[in-house]
Formats: sequence, C-alpha cells, structure tokens
Amino acid sequence: MNTTIVPILPFLMSGDPSLEALPDHLAEVASLGIGTVELGVPHSDPIADGPVLQAAAHRAIGRGTTLVKIFDKINTIKNIPDVVLFSYFNPLLRMGAEGLLQHLRESPVKALLVVDLPDSEEPDFEAALREGGYPLVPLLAPTTTGSRVRRLLEARPDPGPGACFARRFAYVVARLGVTGTGGETPLAPVARRVAALQGITGRPLAVGFGLSDPGALEAVRAMGATPVVGSALVQALHEGQGLGTFLRPRIGQ
Amino acid sequence: MPFELPTRFGTPGLGGCYAPETLLQPLLDLEAAYLSALGDAVFQAELRRELKDFVGRPTPLTPAPRLAQALGLDSLWLKREDLAHTGAHKINNALGQALLARRMGKGEVIAETGAGQHGVATASACARLGLRCTVYMGITDMARQAPNVSRMRFFGAEVVPVESGQGTLKEAVNEALRAWAARCDSAHYILGSALGPHPFPTIVRGFQRVIGEEARAQVLEQSGVLPDLVIACAGGGSNGLGLLLPFLEDPCRLLAVEAGGHGEALGEHAARLFGGEVGVLHGCKTLVLQDAQGWTAETASISAGLDYPALGPELAALALEGRVEVRRASDQEALEGALELCRAEGILPALESSHALAGLRGLAREGVGSVLLGLSGRGDKDLATFQSRLDQSF
Repeated sequence: MNTTIVPILPFLMSGDPSLEALPDHLAEVASLGIGTVELGVPHSDPIADGPVLQAAAHRAIGRGTTLVKIFDKINTIKNIPDVVLFSYFNPLLRMGAEGLLQHLRESPVKALLVVDLPDSEEPDFEAALREGGYPLVPLLAPTTTGSRVRRLLEARPDPGPGACFARRFAYVVARLGVTGTGGETPLAPVARRVAALQGITGRPLAVGFGLSDPGALEAVRAMGATPVVGSALVQALHEGQGLGTFLRPRIGQ
Repeated sequence: MPFELPTRFGTPGLGGCYAPETLLQPLLDLEAAYLSALGDAVFQAELRRELKDFVGRPTPLTPAPRLAQALGLDSLWLKREDLAHTGAHKINNALGQALLARRMGKGEVIAETGAGQHGVATASACARLGLRCTVYMGITDMARQAPNVSRMRFFGAEVVPVESGQGTLKEAVNEALRAWAARCDSAHYILGSALGPHPFPTIVRGFQRVIGEEARAQVLEQSGVLPDLVIACAGGGSNGLGLLLPFLEDPCRLLAVEAGGHGEALGEHAARLFGGEVGVLHGCKTLVLQDAQGWTAETASISAGLDYPALGPELAALALEGRVEVRRASDQEALEGALELCRAEGILPALESSHALAGLRGLAREGVGSVLLGLSGRGDKDLATFQSRLDQSF
C-alpha cells in the first residue's frame, strides 16, 4: 500500500436528522481527523438500501431536503472534509450534467458514487462529470467477476497518488443484498476478496455494507482497507446519539 | 455493457440497465440463459406443451357483437386472456420464466405483484415446477386484492407485505429487487411486467408475444381481414406489448390505454404519457411520473395492476415515436366499460382490462369499424371494488 489508510468513511444522509445539523456534523467529522465523508442525496426509491437508509431518505424528503438545498448548505461551510456525493441517478439526471457541474464547482464534493449507474449506461453524462473533475466511484460487488473487476477499474481509473482519497478509491460491496441489514457481515470472505483486489490494483479500497461493530471496522483496517459505516451511524443520529460519541470508539479514540 | 441483445428501444434510447453492480452479473447470466433457451428445441417444446396443457392456450378470440353494436362498431373481437389459467395473461411470462429459473438451477423464485395476477401466476407456475416462491406485495394492494393473496398462499407461496410508501406495486418492486440482490446466488427474480433492467423488458415481452401472435392468426381466420384497430390496457406494458407487437408492421391503428385515475394532477392518476417525463426507475430509463427533484410521484388508479408510475421502456419508445397511440381512461369510465361488457356479453373483466374497454368509446366516431381488444384478465379478483362502486346503481 502506498497510501495511508483512511481510518473510516462515514455516511451521512443529507436532511436527516436535519439539513440544519449537517454543517455541525461535517465539522465534527473533520475535527475527528476524518478526511472524507460520504454524503447521501435522499431518493424516493433507494433500491440498493435497506430499511434504515430508506426511512432516513424519506424523512429527509419529508423535511423538504432537495439537491439544491444540500449544495447551498455544504457550500457555506469552511471546515469540511472531502465529500463523496452518494446518489441514485434520477435526481442527477433531473438536474442535468451541466447544472450539476455548476453546483459541484462551488462545492467540497470531490467525487460521486451513483449506485444505479453502471459505467456504460450514460457515457456522455459520466464523461462530462469526469472531464469537469468529478469522477464516479467504481463499485465492486461479490458477484463482480475478475475480468469485470479489471474492466470497471479501467472504466473509472485511479487518477494516481497525487489525488485525494475520494477521487481514488474503489468501493467494495462487502456482501450480497442491501445496506444495513442482516446483522454483521462475515469477514473471512471479505478479507479474501480485499486481498485479491489488492493484487489487481494499488488504489485505496473502501469496504461497506453490514459493518458497524468497532471490531469489524478494525478488522477491515487490518486488511489495509477503509471501512464504511452508514446505516448504523444514520440510525444513531436519528435516535439522538452524538456523532462523536458514535464515531470515536470506531476509530480507536 | 457486454450484453448480447440490444438493451435500448427506439430512437429515444429507452430501457438500458441501471442496476446496482451486485445485480449486473445475475442479469448477464439471465440474458445468457434466455438466449440459450430460445435456441433449445427441448425448452421450446416444453414451453409450448405447458402453455397448451397447463395454461389452456390458445385462448379464444370471442366476437362481441352486442357490445360492438352498442358502441357503433361493425365488429369487435375479444382476445380472452381472462380464460388463461389463473385468470390473466400474466401466466404466459410467469411460466416461461419459471422454466428458465429451473433451467438455471435456481430453486427459489422471487416476484413482485400489484393486482396479484402476476403473483398468483408465478405462485402457480412455481407449484407446478416444484420451485419455492416468495411474492412481495404492497399492503394497500393486499387489502384491495385479498382473494389473490389467498390464492398465492394456497399455491404455497410466501406473501411478504411491503409497508413503505403507498403500499402498491412500486414499493413491491423495490422490495423484490432488494430481495434478489440478497439472494441472487440461489434465486431467480420473475419480473412480471415489461419493465426493469435489461434483459427483463425483452424477456417479458418475448413470453407475452404469444397473445398477439395467436390473436392475429385468429382474427384472420375468423374474418379474413385485419382489424382497423387493436387496443389494450397498459400498466407496465406486458399485456399491451404482448398483444400489439405482432401487429406493428400491419396497417392497423394500435392503441394503449393508461389509468386516468380520478384527476389530472400529479398523484391522481397513472397516465405516464400525459404526465410523465423521461427518467430512471427500477433499472430502466423510460417515461416516469416524477417531481422536479427526480423523485417518483405517487399514483392513483382503481386498478392495482395499472397503478404504477412508469410505462415499460419499449411501449414508451413506441408511444413517443407515434407508432402506438396512448390514451387514458378514468376510474369511472373503466367501471362503466366493465359494466357494459357484463351486460352485453356476460363477461366480467378485470379492472385493468376495463380501461381498454373504456377506450372503445368514441372510436366509431373516429371512423373505426373493426376492433380487436385485449381482455387481459377476469374480474373476479375485483368483486369487492365492483360491489362497493357499482352496487348502488342496481
């Protein structure tokens, strides 16, 4: 590994518990020494997410959270980690590549993770973003075959060690299914896949889906990868727990 | 995408495969299995045999002279998918895909259902082939289509209630896609409409084309000429495409009827050609009822099977190209259409098919003489709705 491992990649749902709370949450993430955050755009039909993130998205929509309001909010913040904007494709399509790029240029967003956009489906849209400096994060699932892994990593290439983590990493989907369901993910198969992927690529890897227990997160770090914590964090914030209280034990603080 | 078949439809380029990465390989595997089954004489022979001996195909083409006369038409034929086993056209695709599931070595089938017709058909096909079956169904639809919930359970299927959102077909598809992502190593997902990520729209319409192929041969045999117009209702589009596609190169007008619901505003209907815009939902790009944020709009229809915010991509492409006309019928017009068929011909249609019947009104004034109508399903499942809405008129 030629990069220092980013200790954790937290996922926050914009607009839940509230859009007003987002600046404080992002500042707190930064003050914990976490350099990158995944920020979710709520969607009506989040087919890759489990009940926790779907409920959070619906609450956020109910509070009037929109993509434009998310940009307005995060563009005013000074002390902010790099943002990976997580979204389903339709809200981005609705805004259009040009409008999206205008908002992105003012923002702390470094890359986008579009969970329902395979690399070849919208080549013009994706090229416009990439040429504007906003690469799409490649996703690697348990069902992704070896030859497909190589193709996906080529289609969404690593800009190299000079670039920030957000623009470099590939997202390893730890298991079949959707986010935040089915208890803790068994780690042995994940370790084998991560090791195999590290033999294929030198780019940083983030591992998510079904990881929340501090021990599991530490185990992912021991694999030389960055654990993603999403549903458990979103649920904790929804239940009124402090972001620092939740994250500190999960980064060994 | 390394698919072999075209993934897009028409000049608008609708369709595609907007699926999470986890499902990409299962979708590639499904396309490969479908293509190999298409070329396999043994598979095709078993499909034909089951369609005949189990489903009861060919379904009849019934002349409806009294209804034709009442509507000012010269002639009207009904393609009787209501007489197919389990009471609707859905069995054609459910059986075909269940055979495909067995061929792929999958022991479990996942399905979504709106009106329950696809769920019942899938449960039935799975029972016949010895496959485990889990059906996801919105709680609103479970309440309004209760008889179908019982039928699925009698056939041994597990019916999983989906409580999110409006509790209708859209939410059922969400849950079925999630379940498939979790169990794609052991389960096949039988999508019931010509929707979803490639190759589903192509596979579903492939198994449903039999409706139009039979109807075209039957009408030529009975009357010697093609009808002036062919009409079907359109929810996702499996019945509409299945009937209309074999007439695409013929000089017939082709008409699909959407659910006009109870009003014009977004949320009061499921008329995608009138209120929808191109977007991505459930893995395909098509006409979607959505708001300014790209979030899927709510829908309304008296018919659970048409109560869906997106039109199948192929039908949407044909509509945008002007090759298929799309109209809408309101809840009330559909009920009136159903009652007219009951009175004139002694047939109780499904609420879905009743929208096509409502679309017959006024055709005579447009100079249409002969019509072939897809009677996609029977109305027994809708008795409770008919009773609550029509009993006061007796």
